[in-house]
Amino acid sequence: MNNKRPLAIASDPARRQATLGLLLAGTLLIFAQSVLANTPTIRLFPTTVVEDLKQTGNVARDMETGLQEIIGRLDQQQQLYVESKCDGAENDAGCQRLARQIGATYLEMLTIMEERLPDMEHTVNNTRISLERGLRNELGKKMTPWQLQETLVGKTVASAPAQSSPTLRGRSGMRLSERFKQYYQLVATSGSQSDQSLAVLASDIYLDMEETSVLIERTRQEIARATLMEQLNQSFGIITPEMMEVVGGVKTILFGDEDARALVAGPPPGSVEQAYRSPLEQ
Amino acid sequence: MNTQNLMSPFKILGILAGLMTIAACASTEPGCPSPQSRNLDSAIGFVKTSLNTGCEAHFDRFYDDLLTIAEGDPKPENKRIFSEFLLWSGDQGLLSTRQAQEYYNRFFNVKFMSMKGDYNNCSHTCPNKQRVLFDMERELSDKERGLLKVSEDRDGYYRADRLYQEVELVLEATCTACAASR
Repeated sequence: MNNKRPLAIASDPARRQATLGLLLAGTLLIFAQSVLANTPTIRLFPTTVVEDLKQTGNVARDMETGLQEIIGRLDQQQQLYVESKCDGAENDAGCQRLARQIGATYLEMLTIMEERLPDMEHTVNNTRISLERGLRNELGKKMTPWQLQETLVGKTVASAPAQSSPTLRGRSGMRLSERFKQYYQLVATSGSQSDQSLAVLASDIYLDMEETSVLIERTRQEIARATLMEQLNQSFGIITPEMMEVVGGVKTILFGDEDARALVAGPPPGSVEQAYRSPLEQ
Repeated sequence: MNTQNLMSPFKILGILAGLMTIAACASTEPGCPSPQSRNLDSAIGFVKTSLNTGCEAHFDRFYDDLLTIAEGDPKPENKRIFSEFLLWSGDQGLLSTRQAQEYYNRFFNVKFMSMKGDYNNCSHTCPNKQRVLFDMERELSDKERGLLKVSEDRDGYYRADRLYQEVELVLEATCTACAASR
């Protein structure tokens, strides 16, 4: 009498089907995992970066709104000063009054900037630090130069359309809030983008944040110094060339400089032929 | 004795002139001339014969000659012709597989051989970033020759050019991030 069953599933068709189903599902799971393991996915944009970019955009927009009216007023006052031929006639009582008005508006601008910049500095630094960590770990420590290059080239070298790649650096001609809005939109939809675009995008934003961070720090120092100087100048009614430079600089940073916008030429139309792939190709 | 001493500089000059003549003869190598045909297939046939008859040491020059000839008749299939020539060179034992890959990819592939490396970017690429970018720039001019002038692959060349710019940007950011942790 042999009660031993070699395979329990062989005797019960329903159980056999269920077990085979489980085996199949298991195999599929292992296969899916191995496919996923072979797909290079780089994590460069944690959720915090997306939120920080949104926040920075909002802070920049508030600052622009607050400053727009004041800068407009400054422009008018400066124009009046020039038209009244006050250059070289600083001792004239009318010109002194005009200079004091310009100085007061300038102080107003500095005060608003001083109020808003810490928030901006905070969110910019947060974004910068998150991206820095991602770039260092994902591209710096986990990849060899060849892997980095393969990430940038993507899987389909020949068919990758140039338009799908994000624009490289050169956003100096853009409003600050618009710049962050664009970043936010690009990053928020980053799930649909390839690793190659993400690496370039993260690098671009990170370098921009680095520059912005340094610029904000310098601006804050400059504001403290300029505020003190202007408070002194108010008693004498002097317009310094420095004041004009600072105003010009603030305008460029906040509202952009149309002349600085970079023009990127596209490649000439090439003949789209079936690309030859050599067995030597790597 | 004095006459002998006076003559010795002339003797030395004579010996030097003789050596220079020999050196000049060696550099022209009458046995290993460059292909004269402007037809790439004929030129490759000629080069193959030369390489099989003791001119292996002139491989670099022959490869350069073939590229110049191909520039005179650019077409996409030139890529295949060069690939087959390099595979043949490998089969003949003139090149190792790695050398053949280097010769092919440097001129005909979008990817940069200058970006080869077994260590991570923070530890290896970043300390040598300027050299890597300089090497890539030189390789880009070889790709201009291979992809654009020889194979008429404009898309490939412009992708390589863009890749160079992307690598420059990404390396700048990555290396700044690597340095920030120190």
